[in-house]
Amino acid sequence: MAGPSGDRLIRVDMTTQTVKIVAFPEAWKLLGGRGLSARILVEECDATCDPLGPGNVLVMAPGVISGTAAPTSGRISIGGKSPLTGGIKEANAGGNPGQDLMKLGYRAVVVTGQPKDPNKRYALDVTADGAVVKEVPDCKGMWNYALIEHLAKSYPDTASFISIGPAGEQRLKGASVACTDQEQERHPARHAARGGLGAVMGAKGLKYVSIDPAKAGVRQAAERKEFVARCKKYTKDYLAGPQMFKTGTSTVVPVAQMLNTFPYKNRTAGQSPDAETLSGARIIESFATRGGRMHNCMTGCIVQCSNVVHDAEGNYKTSALEFETITLLGANCAIQSWEDVADLDRLCDEVGLDTIETGAAIAVYMDSGGMEWGDAAGAKGLLEQIAEGTELGVAIGNGAASIGKKRGHHRVPVVRGQAVPAWDPRPLKATGITYCTSPMGADHTAGLIVNPGMPQQDWVRASQEAQMVNALCDSSGFCQFLQPTLDDIRAFYGHLYGEEVSREQISDMAWQVLQDEWEFNRRAGLSEHGDQMPDCMKQDPIGPAKMVWDVPADLVVQAYQRQGDREQLFTMKASG
Amino acid sequence: MPQVKVPPPYQGPTQGQARIDVIGTTVGECVEAVCARFAGFHELIFDAAGNVHKFVTLFVNGDEIERSALDTPVGKADEVEILAAIAGG
Repeated sequence: MAGPSGDRLIRVDMTTQTVKIVAFPEAWKLLGGRGLSARILVEECDATCDPLGPGNVLVMAPGVISGTAAPTSGRISIGGKSPLTGGIKEANAGGNPGQDLMKLGYRAVVVTGQPKDPNKRYALDVTADGAVVKEVPDCKGMWNYALIEHLAKSYPDTASFISIGPAGEQRLKGASVACTDQEQERHPARHAARGGLGAVMGAKGLKYVSIDPAKAGVRQAAERKEFVARCKKYTKDYLAGPQMFKTGTSTVVPVAQMLNTFPYKNRTAGQSPDAETLSGARIIESFATRGGRMHNCMTGCIVQCSNVVHDAEGNYKTSALEFETITLLGANCAIQSWEDVADLDRLCDEVGLDTIETGAAIAVYMDSGGMEWGDAAGAKGLLEQIAEGTELGVAIGNGAASIGKKRGHHRVPVVRGQAVPAWDPRPLKATGITYCTSPMGADHTAGLIVNPGMPQQDWVRASQEAQMVNALCDSSGFCQFLQPTLDDIRAFYGHLYGEEVSREQISDMAWQVLQDEWEFNRRAGLSEHGDQMPDCMKQDPIGPAKMVWDVPADLVVQAYQRQGDREQLFTMKASG
Repeated sequence: MPQVKVPPPYQGPTQGQARIDVIGTTVGECVEAVCARFAGFHELIFDAAGNVHKFVTLFVNGDEIERSALDTPVGKADEVEILAAIAGG
């Protein structure tokens, strides 16, 4: 047996609202997720196009392993040219759409063109029988949760959804793409958030995609017995280990605080005085009285890092309230209460916004005197203004650089127009090199290295290796929190298709993802010499050691040169 | 001589050193030996009351021990591993 066969691509032309389903190239069988998105964009998208025009290509690509019985493997990549960075972007999400597409044998949805009438809204329905575009005027302007509640009445219980909120419809650069989770209610809580890809979807007039796998089963491997055995062993070993994510990312707050990477007041400090009231430990404590819990966002996940947060009355409020959200919408805005951050997180999910970008934008607004620090009610009002499309709301919804420009403010922590995540490059230099050299811009999921003691001579290699491992992980469908190694991934690939995948092959595949993405960015006219960390990171010291970004530019750009493979590359774990 | 394995997030005070040879007969003595040698390490492991932080997990030769079990005996060839819960997010 040769493993999964008969795979297809769904090609959607939004100019004519027509669909073609074509065979998936055999040569691409080990391309999925981020890697597949990059290859399609390099081959089919003019990198100089207007990201919000008809020339941009929006790719929705599950990972290679998605849809199989492998644990925590259903991630989906949303890709396109970013309106925020002007370069290539891949944002990765959990939930069930990735697995559902793959169970039907659809390796990607590729959306091109643009409707003539920008006021019309469309949906794409995907089933085993094919895919169709239809007009959905009644869905225009709907917030994500209301949209899914509305859709749940008319679609089968087995369907999952990919959608945008009002921010995407307004084509705001901080707009996210929502994926529904595996809960019965199908909460639109898993977001491919970074880079404004929700705006790209909105610019194509696409309000949502439904995927109904109906009774489709999991994808079967060529070496079924070996594949199943590997799934079982991997699961057993993972569950026997420390399970670092079992209480979710929000409980990392105290460690981040100690490491001076819990930014406060628009990153003017590395620690927040409110770490206790913002810590994820408070969320865990709330479960006992409110009924929240940890859960898996996608079917078949063994990590279960996602929290379900309830309000004081015991009703569902949001999921998942993550470390990055708590930091950017909480500490960085001097908002003291995790419950206020939960409200803000829900609003971001409703309106369809990246919580990192939006939190950074609100902090810039506060720092420039637009609002008092810690004004949670005011921050919630800003998010409602984004949904309403007010002038201020649009400026915030377009991200930190946008509001910084509007306010004429000097302190705007962005790299290539994208807000710097919580993990701060001043104590974490190797992570900073990732922010400067990753095709994604400042994105911790592109290659996070939490090691403040790392010697300088190791920074470049550490960044490059993390970028390679994460690029391949995001191409595989595995969640970064499962922490697979390149050796793990190549073993799964080998059993899936009944062909050995060597270390050389897997490292070349990882490197090729970065090469494709850098190539796209070169064509888009972006610098080949590494992006610059903003002046505020070079000038505003944090922590007792007065740390600033002081990594020489000639060192940073070395990350573009392949450093050579070593044993550690294949055994290090993905880390997002 | 027992060895203490320091996780990457905690290698700031140890200036990048991942493994520290120490003199000690219990987990507590071994960890304290690292604290004594590297300024700033103690705060990463212990809270103000002297208890091991809730987000720190301790292992002896790969087996997790209770945070309060600092009197767990350690032999000359044993490895004490510190794990700090770090997740992205």
